[in-house]
Amino acid sequence: MIMSSHPGKTHLPPPLDLSLWSKLPAVLMTLGGVLCVAGAGFSLVEFGFSWLLAFMFYLSLALGALFLVLVHHLTDAGWSVGIRRFCEHLASLLFPWLAVLFLPVLLLSPKIYHWLTLPASDELIRARWPVFTCAGFVVVSALFFGVWWLLTSRLRYWSLRQDVTGDALCTRKLRFHSGWGIVAFAATLTGASVFWMQSVQYQSFSAMYGVYFFSNCAWIALATVYVIAALLQRQRVLSDLLSENYFYFIGVLFFAFTVFSAYTEFAQYFVVWNANMPEETFWYLIRENRAWWCLSLILIFGKFFVPFFVMLPVQAKSNLKIMIPICLWAWLMQFGDLAFNILPALPGWHFPLKLLWLPLGCLMFMGGFLGWVFVNKFKSHPPYPQKDPRLLEALGFHHLDCEEVSGAAPTNGGQR
Amino acid sequence: MSAKPYGILAEFDSPAAILAAAEKVRDAGYSRWDVFTPFPVHGMDKVMGLKNSLVGWVALAGGAFMFLNVVGLIWFSNAFDYPLIVGGKPMFSIPMTFVPAYIMMIMGGAVGALIGMLAFNELPRFHHPLFASKRFALVSRDKFCLLIGALDEKFSETETRKLLESIGGAHIEIIED
Repeated sequence: MIMSSHPGKTHLPPPLDLSLWSKLPAVLMTLGGVLCVAGAGFSLVEFGFSWLLAFMFYLSLALGALFLVLVHHLTDAGWSVGIRRFCEHLASLLFPWLAVLFLPVLLLSPKIYHWLTLPASDELIRARWPVFTCAGFVVVSALFFGVWWLLTSRLRYWSLRQDVTGDALCTRKLRFHSGWGIVAFAATLTGASVFWMQSVQYQSFSAMYGVYFFSNCAWIALATVYVIAALLQRQRVLSDLLSENYFYFIGVLFFAFTVFSAYTEFAQYFVVWNANMPEETFWYLIRENRAWWCLSLILIFGKFFVPFFVMLPVQAKSNLKIMIPICLWAWLMQFGDLAFNILPALPGWHFPLKLLWLPLGCLMFMGGFLGWVFVNKFKSHPPYPQKDPRLLEALGFHHLDCEEVSGAAPTNGGQR
Repeated sequence: MSAKPYGILAEFDSPAAILAAAEKVRDAGYSRWDVFTPFPVHGMDKVMGLKNSLVGWVALAGGAFMFLNVVGLIWFSNAFDYPLIVGGKPMFSIPMTFVPAYIMMIMGGAVGALIGMLAFNELPRFHHPLFASKRFALVSRDKFCLLIGALDEKFSETETRKLLESIGGAHIEIIED
């Protein structure tokens, strides 16, 4: 038997001692909780915006992970078997945990979403009746979480069931749910980004907004998956499954979404710039002034040019020393990008550094909480799908059939 | 033509056999050799120690060249040589150049990749010494061939033939240049 992969397995550095890190979620939650309470006492409006920002950050991560799971099933992929299970865990944070974290947004919605308190005679509000009303806000938000609950719970249920039975029915069910799921995913993701994020400035329009948010979801999820996969390989949890190719594949996808995300952002900007209509340009005009101008330049270079050129060489994509810092940098950039979208809507918040502690506090609190939930989910189930039909392929047994028919012409072209 | 050797060709029957043979040829210290298979053999690039191709850099150069070219063209024609106001926009600005420059960058990258590929493969050419071998045509059907080039420092007609025989090569023949 020839094992063609596992070249890096022998020189894997020793596992890290993570015992100290197990306290991190508690520390983050305490510290972030204190900052959140202080912020809420300081100003409910600013706290609401900060909470929304942190919520959208983790929402984008969970939605991106859900996308990876859906695509895995729809394309019948072999290589991504190893990352599937923890992507399912990340996606299942959507319900109930992110729904719970959405409650403060719901409670503070009249302070965050200006249009909720406008008279119904306002032309822009009337045109969007009945969605842009108090009841509409609650019902549509509940609908989004309902769809995500159904989708993620089904995907997880059949995946865990497959671990027990190994039945082909599980694979079929997973594909069935991914089939309707990808359509529902696109609709709900677009709706959520427009409804919860774009509507903080309800006067703006952009047909690109949903795609733009989606590209960032997949981008940040891939960065996170890369880091988690590297950690699980180092800890010998997935070291049999994750070869160098594996990181190359995730890296290539991450690189592709770096380009795609820049493309969507630029396309949105270019259309507004070219049409030059006051009802659209106001959105960018606010962001071309004061500190937002600096942030937009940081995003142009930090979110596209630097990662693009660093990851351009083939070898870079599987080099952990290059990719891990880039992935962590991606977290910062995604946070900056969401802040660029959400915070300028708040009048008076012209200098983002002045009140940076409040969004960071919300981010820490939610991160600690969701991290704790994720680790518990991960610990209570096998780390990868035990009976996935493509598991052998993911393990790198490419030459299995060639060996068996050695000397004869390979019946399937020698692949797989 | 005088009988100047181009290399020695040996034939194998399975992907596993050629993979094992390639390992032994590499371990024997040869550097100028190649394998020919009807389909990609997993792990062969690792065994042969193949490095990443340089074609990517030619593509990058082609893309960057065309990108800057088009930005320059738009600046020259619209803002320098014949300043013209279009749609109330500035004479020259980066967003305005980006779409055509981006398209031509893709074009430049593609042409660069093509030229780079041809150059590194020493193509186009009218003939190749390997075509003289009758059995070589079988590598596009069900045979796997390994060639050790005569330009290799360790090449010798007798020793190299012995090595290929010892690792199980069949139909060993000397290809003439």
